[in-house]
Amino acid sequence: MELLIEAIGFGLAAGAVIALGAVGFSLQFGISNILNITYGSLMTLAAYIGLFLIDRGVNPWATLAIAGVIVGLVSVAFQRWLLAPLARRGTRPFAIVIVTVSAGVILQYVILAVAGPETQSYGDQGGQTFHLLGVTLAASQVAIVVLAVVLMLALHLLLTQTTLGQAMRATSSNRILAQSCGIDTDRMSDVTWLLSGWLCGATGVALAITTAGFDFSIGQVFLIPMIAAAVLGGVGQPYGAMVGGLAVGLASELAAAYSNPAYREVVAFAILIAVLLIRPRGLFGAAWATRRLMA
Amino acid sequence: MYLGTNLLAAWGLNLEFGVAGVANLAFIVTIAAGAYAYTIFTIGSPTSNGNFQQYVGGFTFPFPIALAAGIVAGAVVGVLIAITGLKRLRQDYQAMAMLVVSLMAATVVSADTPFLNGNAGLVIFPSFAPFSDQDPEVQRWAFVGIVFVACAGAYFLLRRFTAGPFGRTLRAMRDDDLAAQAIGKDVVRLRLAVQAVGGAFGGLSGALLVAFISGWSPSAWAYIETLALLTAVIVGGMGNDRGVTVGMFLIGILILQGVQFLNDVPALKALESYVNRTGLTHDLGWIVLGTLTIVFIWLRPQGIFPERRPRYGGQTS
Repeated sequence: MELLIEAIGFGLAAGAVIALGAVGFSLQFGISNILNITYGSLMTLAAYIGLFLIDRGVNPWATLAIAGVIVGLVSVAFQRWLLAPLARRGTRPFAIVIVTVSAGVILQYVILAVAGPETQSYGDQGGQTFHLLGVTLAASQVAIVVLAVVLMLALHLLLTQTTLGQAMRATSSNRILAQSCGIDTDRMSDVTWLLSGWLCGATGVALAITTAGFDFSIGQVFLIPMIAAAVLGGVGQPYGAMVGGLAVGLASELAAAYSNPAYREVVAFAILIAVLLIRPRGLFGAAWATRRLMA
Repeated sequence: MYLGTNLLAAWGLNLEFGVAGVANLAFIVTIAAGAYAYTIFTIGSPTSNGNFQQYVGGFTFPFPIALAAGIVAGAVVGVLIAITGLKRLRQDYQAMAMLVVSLMAATVVSADTPFLNGNAGLVIFPSFAPFSDQDPEVQRWAFVGIVFVACAGAYFLLRRFTAGPFGRTLRAMRDDDLAAQAIGKDVVRLRLAVQAVGGAFGGLSGALLVAFISGWSPSAWAYIETLALLTAVIVGGMGNDRGVTVGMFLIGILILQGVQFLNDVPALKALESYVNRTGLTHDLGWIVLGTLTIVFIWLRPQGIFPERRPRYGGQTS
């Protein structure tokens, strides 16, 4: 029983990070209909930027924000000057995915070439440990969970209470109709990619904070659970991604606790494949949304 | 030699992707399957090798049989992968699913030590009998000869596939699978068949490769390896066998091997020690590869040699 509770605790902490990343990924797909595999390498970039800053004494949480901004800017540029033109030309979605995979590879190897293959660490960011209801979590993990909740709330408020958020949602759900309502959809794309890029960067730093050590592959490794979470929740649905993140996190930790810890990743993979095969629109995707997914 | 095995792999991938439109990013797994099967068939039982590796199987079969095992394993794995991709998803979703499958396969093999010795991989198995008593240099060239023969034979088979009715059907399936179904082509069976054949190519490639380098581990088949092959296919020309050959030549020789020659360029060597980073040239290779892919998709998606649309004798009246 103790094992179960502990696993749940870890699952929540892991799930929070995964949810953060998944929401960003989901937003990008929702607005541009692109599976941005470069997301993984961008998280790695953020982690290394964070390392750079932390080594110079910047507070870890500040680096989270700063790295987020940098990655957000890179993401917008990437989308605006590489992906959007390709999409406008009618390049097949598959080719665009290949482009994002290639860009991810380039970025990953540039990082590797510059920073080296050694495992890096932010040092002990744990802070004091908390014991709640039988679960032992480090302060940093609790902070991440709180941060994730706050960010999700902020996003929710943005999407529902502000005109900008509503415009973003409109563009996401039907671009042409949004254009005919007078919404500048290109600007909406830019804004969404900036925001989701910020989330990507923040997730990268959060990952580095919560893992003991990381190297140039950390983004790629965690990308898959995030995609699994996004797809599980219904890709394009940020709220679904939040739930999905939690689910994937819990499932992975439970699997790791009760069987081989190496299978933690396999669980995420399995969830992704299962969702794609059984119910591609995920838990919360509307039925009409499957039009985007089916051939 | 590496060119030969890479050629086989590229042809297989082209068959699946360029001709049939199957986005199989898990192709590298078929290569791995071939490699592992060959290994299992030649390595002898665990105890005879000093007992420091564990794996299943372990026989000592002569070279041709082990090769055949590699081919079969590749085909079987190809079909298994095909089954996971059968659902009618948009092509890029499928691609993602395949990517995940290949990652999953790598993780499972790494983690499950009794199966194929986990992350450490399998090493040390006899070079094939007929030439093992010769001087190593001769052995190498003899091996090149064998690979050459394999490639020639495979190319012959490949042309039979892609130029003939099978190829036309595959292209029909790629261009519009609803239409193909409407005229009675069984798309499911075709996909399975294509991935079996493509997988067989991959298996052969893997088996030959592993026979040469005598060692194989999960790090040899990271998912990016499929990307390297895919780049060759895209650069050379999707759906065009000759094009893919040229593409593989460019990518394989010039970049993957050429990068190793870059090591000898003094300027780069100096840069390496300045940055205190070994393997810089290796990373550069990947960066160049990724850039090439993007450049080609941007500028010339059909590749250097676009697919030649077959012209049929003028019978439309």
